[in-house]
Amino acid sequence: MVERNNVETLVVLQPIAVDTASPDREGRLVIANGLLVAVLVRLDAPEHEMPGFWFLEAAFGRLQGSNAPPFAELEDATQWLRRRLRR
Amino acid sequence: MATMQNTLSRKLEGFEALSDQDRRALNGLVPRIRQMGPRIDLIREGEEPENVHLILDGFACRYKVLPDGQRQVMAFLVPGDFCDLNVFILDQMDHNIGTISQCQVVDIPRASIDAITAHHPMITRALWWCALVDEAILREWLVNIGGRPPNQRIAHLICELLLRLEAVGHVRDNSFPFPFTQTDLADTMGLSNVHVNRSIRELKSLGFITVQHRVLTIHDPDRLKAYCKFTPNYLHLRNARWQGRRMVPWVDSARRG
Repeated sequence: MVERNNVETLVVLQPIAVDTASPDREGRLVIANGLLVAVLVRLDAPEHEMPGFWFLEAAFGRLQGSNAPPFAELEDATQWLRRRLRR
Repeated sequence: MATMQNTLSRKLEGFEALSDQDRRALNGLVPRIRQMGPRIDLIREGEEPENVHLILDGFACRYKVLPDGQRQVMAFLVPGDFCDLNVFILDQMDHNIGTISQCQVVDIPRASIDAITAHHPMITRALWWCALVDEAILREWLVNIGGRPPNQRIAHLICELLLRLEAVGHVRDNSFPFPFTQTDLADTMGLSNVHVNRSIRELKSLGFITVQHRVLTIHDPDRLKAYCKFTPNYLHLRNARWQGRRMVPWVDSARRG
């Protein structure tokens, strides 16, 4: 359990370089209440439909298999992740 | 109308030798030909299939939509393909069929198919072939999605399209129409748009393919086939089959006594 209903999840974003076999390498480890729950990667390859957006590269535990849309800002990503973790 | 009869007999004769009578029966079909725009449903899940659809030109697909809106494409339909040969016997569609590009589609009433198959066993066999090959392709897609990493998975689909389109005369210099969007490929391959984008990028940078103005060119088909370990057996194309396979030796010797 990452979250109890009445307690706000503490989400920490930790910069990390990610090997995606593409120019997308700027990443963030998403740590929720001390547990790694996801990895976000910024879409830097120019061919992407939404360049500059943040992509949910990998997700673990309850987030696994989530189809998240790419996020314009990191803040949008954390909001989305928080909502998902609350369910 | 000639196009429709040619496409149909070409498709069926790829599987079975038809007699003049068989061909006359096919020529007797009076189908309705429709020009359809891209991204239009031919038939939706839950509807009763009235006609068998044959794609004369363009690309269509079979798909389902999950409750959360996620689409899964289960088949690409190319010129010469029947969309619903195997479902016209059912009373209700269990999936949708929609166009991807502009399409020319033939509607053949199920009564006509019933009448023809009742009197022309070789046509019936050829239609079986079509349905069995559709199933074989579906099996291979299952293997593809479940067993191959993204780059090879997409390469495999591209090799398959090359052979299927070549069989119906839609390939020129290893180039063929490629109207699929990144989202189409993602929904087909069980990947995200981002992963499709990266894989296509990788296949281009390895020098396997180029995509320009919605035309895909394979630079060295043998290399691409080797890369994804493509075996065309499941397509059961005439040129990929062992010609003498269905001449069973003991039948001949039994006949000779």
